[in-house]
Amino acid sequence: MASVRISELCAEIDAKVHVPGDMDREVERAAVGDLLSFVMGSDADGAAWITVQTHLNVAAVAVLKDIPIIIIASGREPAADLFERCRAEGIALVSAAASVFDTCVKLGRLGISG
Amino acid sequence: MADPIHLEYEVAADDYQAAGAASNSVKETLKMLGLPTAISRRAAIITYEAEMNLVIHGGGGKIVANIDEESVELMTIDEGPGIPDVEKAVQEGFTTAGDRAREMGFGAGMGLPNIKRNADVFEIFTEVGTGTTLRTVINLP
Ligand SMILES: Nc1ncnc2c1ncn2[C@@H]1O[C@H](COP(=O)(O)OP(=O)(O)OP(=O)(O)O)[C@@H](O)[C@H]1O
Ligand SMILES: [Mg+2]
Repeated sequence: MASVRISELCAEIDAKVHVPGDMDREVERAAVGDLLSFVMGSDADGAAWITVQTHLNVAAVAVLKDIPIIIIASGREPAADLFERCRAEGIALVSAAASVFDTCVKLGRLGISG
Repeated sequence: MADPIHLEYEVAADDYQAAGAASNSVKETLKMLGLPTAISRRAAIITYEAEMNLVIHGGGGKIVANIDEESVELMTIDEGPGIPDVEKAVQEGFTTAGDRAREMGFGAGMGLPNIKRNADVFEIFTEVGTGTTLRTVINLP
């Protein structure tokens, strides 16, 4: 299981960085989900979170699950209030043009696991 | 921890913007008290799901937290529509969430199951037309 810096992860998925958060922080795992209670109930603590949800409540879940980076996939863009909340909480918020699946494949190549 | 701690939060109906504020405050308080991460994580899940149920289903209400040396008690109290069939409501996948909530990723029917899984005590007192009280307790090690 590899530890990957958030900056390196962003480069690999060609991310558009909306909120940098702590780019030097490392993640080892990633989680996928668009149903908030599903993510809340999963063991996503500390993992990178890939979703197509773009609204404020995504940040609420990320804060509670100690999720350091939110990746919005499939070319969707975050809502303004999500952006603001991530900035206030120091959570990295990025978007990727690639699909959820392709984004996951790229993270997998970096050695990030589920 | 000398004196027990009592926290209360008001949660407004349909206020998706404020969502998570109370849960976050509870989690921060537990962290500040030096409780184990595993405990504050469980409390965060319970309060978040209960808070969202107040927002989405309960017509708003109150969150109460009581923390002492032995346990963390987390409660929500609302005067909403009540739950007609509690046994059904606690089953994974059961939901009455409307379109708006579902579009936002709510309505998986996993909130109450998540709460139950993370609580040592899980009780629902509810009456249709009167309201719902959810009481949970996490025992401290
Ligand atoms: N405070 C409440 N007042 C009235 N009904 C409630 C309340 N809490 C839960 N319910 C009922 O119980 C059902 C199941 O709740 P649960 O939290 O498990 O799922 P959900 O809220 O529908 O979806 P999710 O939590 O996954 O986003 C709800 O759809 C609703 O019908
Ligand atoms: Mg719920």
